[in-house]
Amino acid sequence: MLSDISLGKYYKADSILHRTDPRIKTLLYVVYLVVIFMINSPAALGALAGVIVIQVVMAKVRPSVIWKTVKPVLPLSVFILILNILTIKQGDLLFQWKFISITDYGIARAILMAVRLMFLILSTSLMLTLTTTPLKIADALESLFSPLKLIKVPVHEMAMMMSIALRFIPTLIEETDKIMKAQVSRGADYDTGSFINRVKGYLTVLIPLFISSFRRAEELAVAMDARCYKGGEGRTKLNPLKITGTDILVGLFLTACAAGLVVMDLTLR
Amino acid sequence: MEKISVQDVTFTYGSEGADVSAPAEPAVENLSLEIEKGSYTAILGANGSGKSTLAKLIDVIEVPDSGRIVVFGKDTSDDSVFWQIRENSACVFQNPDNQIVGTIVEEDVAFGPENLGIKLPELRERVDQALKDVGIYELRLREAASLSGGQKQKLAIAGALAMRPEILILDEATAMLDPRSRDEFLAVCEEMRLKKGLTLITITHDMSEAMRCGRVIVMSKGKKAAEGTPAKIFADISLEQYGLRRPVIIRFAYEIARLAGVTLTEEDLTGEARLREKITKILTSPDLANADIPEESNDKEAKTRRKIMSVKDLFSSYDGGKSFAIKNINLDVYEGEILGIVGESGCGKTTLISHMNSILKPSSGDIEVYPEEGVTLRCSQKKDVQKIRQSVGLVFQYPEYQLFEETVYKDICYGLRKMKLTAEEQKDRAVKAAKSVGLEKDVLRKNPFELSGGQKRRAAMAGVLAMRPKILVLDEPASGLDPVGREEMFALIKSLREQGTTVVIVSHNMDEAAAYCDRIICIRNGEAVTAETPDLLFSDKEKTAKFGIDQPKITKFTSLLKQEILKRLPEVHFERMRFDPEEEARAVYRAVLKAGRKDVK
Repeated sequence: MLSDISLGKYYKADSILHRTDPRIKTLLYVVYLVVIFMINSPAALGALAGVIVIQVVMAKVRPSVIWKTVKPVLPLSVFILILNILTIKQGDLLFQWKFISITDYGIARAILMAVRLMFLILSTSLMLTLTTTPLKIADALESLFSPLKLIKVPVHEMAMMMSIALRFIPTLIEETDKIMKAQVSRGADYDTGSFINRVKGYLTVLIPLFISSFRRAEELAVAMDARCYKGGEGRTKLNPLKITGTDILVGLFLTACAAGLVVMDLTLR
Repeated sequence: MEKISVQDVTFTYGSEGADVSAPAEPAVENLSLEIEKGSYTAILGANGSGKSTLAKLIDVIEVPDSGRIVVFGKDTSDDSVFWQIRENSACVFQNPDNQIVGTIVEEDVAFGPENLGIKLPELRERVDQALKDVGIYELRLREAASLSGGQKQKLAIAGALAMRPEILILDEATAMLDPRSRDEFLAVCEEMRLKKGLTLITITHDMSEAMRCGRVIVMSKGKKAAEGTPAKIFADISLEQYGLRRPVIIRFAYEIARLAGVTLTEEDLTGEARLREKITKILTSPDLANADIPEESNDKEAKTRRKIMSVKDLFSSYDGGKSFAIKNINLDVYEGEILGIVGESGCGKTTLISHMNSILKPSSGDIEVYPEEGVTLRCSQKKDVQKIRQSVGLVFQYPEYQLFEETVYKDICYGLRKMKLTAEEQKDRAVKAAKSVGLEKDVLRKNPFELSGGQKRRAAMAGVLAMRPKILVLDEPASGLDPVGREEMFALIKSLREQGTTVVIVSHNMDEAAAYCDRIICIRNGEAVTAETPDLLFSDKEKTAKFGIDQPKITKFTSLLKQEILKRLPEVHFERMRFDPEEEARAVYRAVLKAGRKDVK
């Protein structure tokens, strides 16, 4: 049921993007985040799509995996599309019926928002989750935020918490699937009925899932204790982060792409 | 002599402990014991006897309230050596998923040594060595979540070994593994012990695992109940009172000895070969005592019974037909039988039973259910699906993890509410279902999370039984229970059958499947091998060898024993195999006696 969702899962491959230092990827991710929300013109957005295709090639991720990543977000995207179309009143009126009014600006904004959401998911996946293991993401954040240690921010602990949360996503998806099956066999129905009833129905999954997560957390804590985890101090790394020449090239190339997109957007505006 | 020395230790879980609702009784009380360096010790005991707490105390995850624990000369309550002790001992726990920290196999193995501050390149060398030692080096770049249960447990040992400990503690580490993975897992641990001089401590419910050890410590209610060599412990008849059972082979031997009026010595119990020799000697002696053993009723005789479910040419795929989780399964289930589905983890057992309840849709083929004479429900018919789910009750592994209501009563009623029964009907059914699984009436008002593990499982089963299914399908109903709990579970299953329910059990435990099922179907790589009575299945050596079906322990033992006896008394004609050790002992004894009487004539 839930196992074909790729959102948040690592995709194993040997690609330039996989090998790139996670700190560079994190910074690139932030850059693209800004770009995605900065550019407005259709041409620039089209060019951004092109850059994302280049990233897909650089990451050697199969198109089917990209589809699985995007699929779960589609309903949300459609929802945003409709909501924007219906609520934006600016622009020239195209259609009016009772309280519903649709404007050309509304449609343009709605498409822009939906497309942005898709780009957001894609660049998060390509820059981070698909190509970078959770532990590396955590390493990168720990390293990037390490100056904050000076003002007593528990950077290592936060990074560790994050990496564990990510590590448990597949486990919890599997567990959710199991619980759902068990409740379905007792007559639960998650697909029909009123919205309220469906939400109520999900409690039969969420409560056991919560309880088992607590149990897992407790067992994991004991296991980490037994393996002498004592926080970040004095810890070494099997694969310490190291920036190579290729990493810098990848970083410069993708930053240049991003800069190009912004310039393109500004000149077209 | 260096050793782990536990001196008069008492320990109670505080309010921040695991189970807040449990009364604050000491988990370990006035416990004293010693474990020598380099030894191989099993710690046995029922659920809640304090075994795991002992492991945590030795690994300094907990510190005793009173008393002292000295590990190789270092006191665990001494803060200055605290880390040294913990670094020196490693644990492998029961649930593989809940001890993996890293996403990638090698990252997880490195977690321990990274915590110890081991620097490169030694760190890399340790990780690689540990992975090679347990034989999963080629998996080092795989995602940990994608490994099988057996591989995950090997990963856990690798993670432990990479810390280069002197003590390795296995806390029910094999409980969730199938027999083959279990043997492989133990073989790795035992090899490491010999190679690296590890002190190996295994906490287990599996009595045959305990027989591999040099010494056994029995725990009961937080205290040490007995200790000694496995032979000494298993010679002690009072094991039952601690919620334990002797290994099947030893039960068999004791029944033979009882019938013959011979006493077994501790020495006879040291090793299978010696025991077999002794039993052969008893049975082939010319003055074998004449015991009066009544012929046992052949209750497993296949009667002509009504077909209640039929699986027809079933194929199932999780990836739209690229590969099949199960292939071409044909199987008939008869009313009133207990059918066993056996096979290794990942062979497709759970997939098959999910189809029985129509949770999964077949790629091709169909399942028909005949709840009553003349009624046919088909999984392929959408209108029948809801009826099939009511006719076939499905209890997954660890069903207690699916409880969600605030009282046991409400949880049992969940399915009944979905069936839209009246409140009175619901109450009647819920109370009866609770009774049929042996839950007292006052338990119904309790919060399910206050119950003990065994009770929770019963409550979850009652929730399915209340729907009055004609067929009850159980996935590993006894997993995680201690020996007495397992026996009680199977007694419960038998009583449900007596009450008219047809039962399908999924298991990887051949001993139990053989002992309790009328027929067994074996699944291997998604294909069904056979559905036969256990004695036919396991006596067909060719078939079991060809399909890699592991024989029950009792059968392995007695088939060699029977060969030995036939060498000396060729005229003996053995009856069909039994799988209950005492019953098999009586059958063997009877066969030998019969042949002996002919001799006399």
